[in-house]
Amino acid sequence: MGGEPGGAIDTVDHGMKFWEKQANALRNTLTRRKVVRLDELRRAAEDLGEDYLKLEYFERTTHALRVVLLEHGFFTEAELAAKMAEVRKRYE
Amino acid sequence: MSKHHDHDHHDDPSFDHGPPSEWEILSRAMQELMIAKGVITAEQIRTRMEQFEAELPYRGPRVIARAWTNPAFKQRLLENGRKACEEFGLDMEAEKLVAVENTPQVHNLIVCTLCSCYPRALLGMPPTWYKSENYRRRVVREPRAVLREFGTVIPDNVTVRVHDSNADMRYVVVPMRPAGTEGWSEEKLAEIITRDTLVGVTLPKAS
Repeated sequence: MGGEPGGAIDTVDHGMKFWEKQANALRNTLTRRKVVRLDELRRAAEDLGEDYLKLEYFERTTHALRVVLLEHGFFTEAELAAKMAEVRKRYE
Repeated sequence: MSKHHDHDHHDDPSFDHGPPSEWEILSRAMQELMIAKGVITAEQIRTRMEQFEAELPYRGPRVIARAWTNPAFKQRLLENGRKACEEFGLDMEAEKLVAVENTPQVHNLIVCTLCSCYPRALLGMPPTWYKSENYRRRVVREPRAVLREFGTVIPDNVTVRVHDSNADMRYVVVPMRPAGTEGWSEEKLAEIITRDTLVGVTLPKAS
């Protein structure tokens, strides 16, 4: 990416949504406590390949965290799906 | 009891407008699972969110104001950024910090072409543009053009040096103290030291 041609830069800081602040705090708490490493998160994001640029910044980091936490076995796909269903229901 | 009692949740920054995206649901689910498994606590997440808002963004200006007023501190900051900040009472979170000084001959600018590595312990969260593809692509190729988009013109006889950060090594720019700030206190100086001046995309001004 560095050194490639690119378009005009939007120099306005658009800040962060609440969920992005929370997602950032989650990722940051986990890296500070060395539960996961920044390098493995970056690898998981870069493994997105073509899709890397299709996702927004915090979508990409959330995807990467999912991949790495599953790899480490902190929870299973099934547990995650069940928890997501529970959270989704709470918002309805 | 509050005169703001009729405000609805649209004014509460703890909520985003509209229904949550699947990304938000995923993120929240992972957070709850990691708390349930005892790996982290809800309190740690809350504290970290508060630090990012209320504490971290203001550290960098304080450190640089000290460097402007105390030459011995500036020397120590340039020699070992992390150690100098610890002496200042700041927990630098175990990353190497390299302070790069602007001079009449050299202007410094920082980027992370890999992702978004940034001196968060000094400046909080990076602004949107720092994380953008266009900034990361172009700043190492045409820094002067990028600087012009931020309204900053660096004369041709001044070298522009771009520093590419990574997970273990972060940079912070030590800008030149502007004329017209003679006799100012550290507190007053810190007010004109903005995030953008410490990334190097703008220059501090005395007004």
